[in-house]
Amino acid sequence: MQVNRLGIALIAFFGLVGLALAIAPFALGVPAQVAWILAMIGVIWFLVAAGLALFARRQQAKAAHQDWVFQNGIRGTATVLDAGSHATVNEMPVMKLKLRLDVPGVAGAEVSRREVMSVFAARRMEPGLQLPVYVNPGDHGDFVLVW
Amino acid sequence: MSGIESAYAALAAERGLAPLGAAALGPLTPLLVESGDGGVSPAFRGRFGEADVVVGELAYTRNKTFRFNVAFASVPASTAFVPRLFCIRRGRRTRDDEFYGFEARDSKLWTESIALNERYVVSTSPFQDPIWMRQLFSPAFVDWLATTPPADFSFELAYGALLGSVEEDDPGAEGLAALAEATAAVAARIDAECAESGG
Repeated sequence: MQVNRLGIALIAFFGLVGLALAIAPFALGVPAQVAWILAMIGVIWFLVAAGLALFARRQQAKAAHQDWVFQNGIRGTATVLDAGSHATVNEMPVMKLKLRLDVPGVAGAEVSRREVMSVFAARRMEPGLQLPVYVNPGDHGDFVLVW
Repeated sequence: MSGIESAYAALAAERGLAPLGAAALGPLTPLLVESGDGGVSPAFRGRFGEADVVVGELAYTRNKTFRFNVAFASVPASTAFVPRLFCIRRGRRTRDDEFYGFEARDSKLWTESIALNERYVVSTSPFQDPIWMRQLFSPAFVDWLATTPPADFSFELAYGALLGSVEEDDPGAEGLAALAEATAAVAARIDAECAESGG
């Protein structure tokens, strides 16, 4: 997953407006009861924004690592043995894939992987489908699936 | 018979295409997913260049009705080399009503060629082999893409399913033939590169 421009805008909006709601009523001398209600809403908005920002940062770090594996990994082939989905994120299926990796110099292995995929991609994940894969030379369980 | 139906009938008569009536291509590419089940009507099948192509009208409604004329061909060998490749006319819109802040990291822009990028937005998997892409987008292919297909032509390749499309509601029989021929030419180019790479 990656945060897009709309995501950045939403995080900024909820973070800044949340902060304003938490502070401004007290600074402007709004009656205490109203100020506390607004402050509570503001804190919740701010915490949601902070959580999303943290999630986005972790996804960015994960993406950077995947880029490294792609640049430095050993190229091979992943054959889909089994595929299914029981959940979605933003209408995109979370696919659970069982794969057989065939990578030069690496013993053949069956591995499982969860991937959030576009609908058209998820529909094509059928047993027998072969996809490129890049395996971390230092950790053969760490790989990037090109789907 | 509407204008577009007449155009398809003329194309079918001229090229000897087989009528399919209404055909469901399935949700095989992003545009077909947008439409639901990828239903095209009217639809016809025939040979264009080296490819077996289905041409038809694709219409779907989200917050408004979108209409495309599409040509579908299979390039099964491509999955092992380029699972996804989208070459979309710059400025095209396929949906207006749904946006999210987070999305799957499923595309990377390909920006090697100025001529290509002036006309199209080209994207692939974030982990697509760039050397293979440079071989596919040879200078001759880039020049052809930038100058020859219909002005509103786009194509999507996903797991061996190639969908060429134009946005013009009624391009006439000549425009439909140009769409099918452009799609067949893209299929042939991708197939040739896969064969050269050992596919």
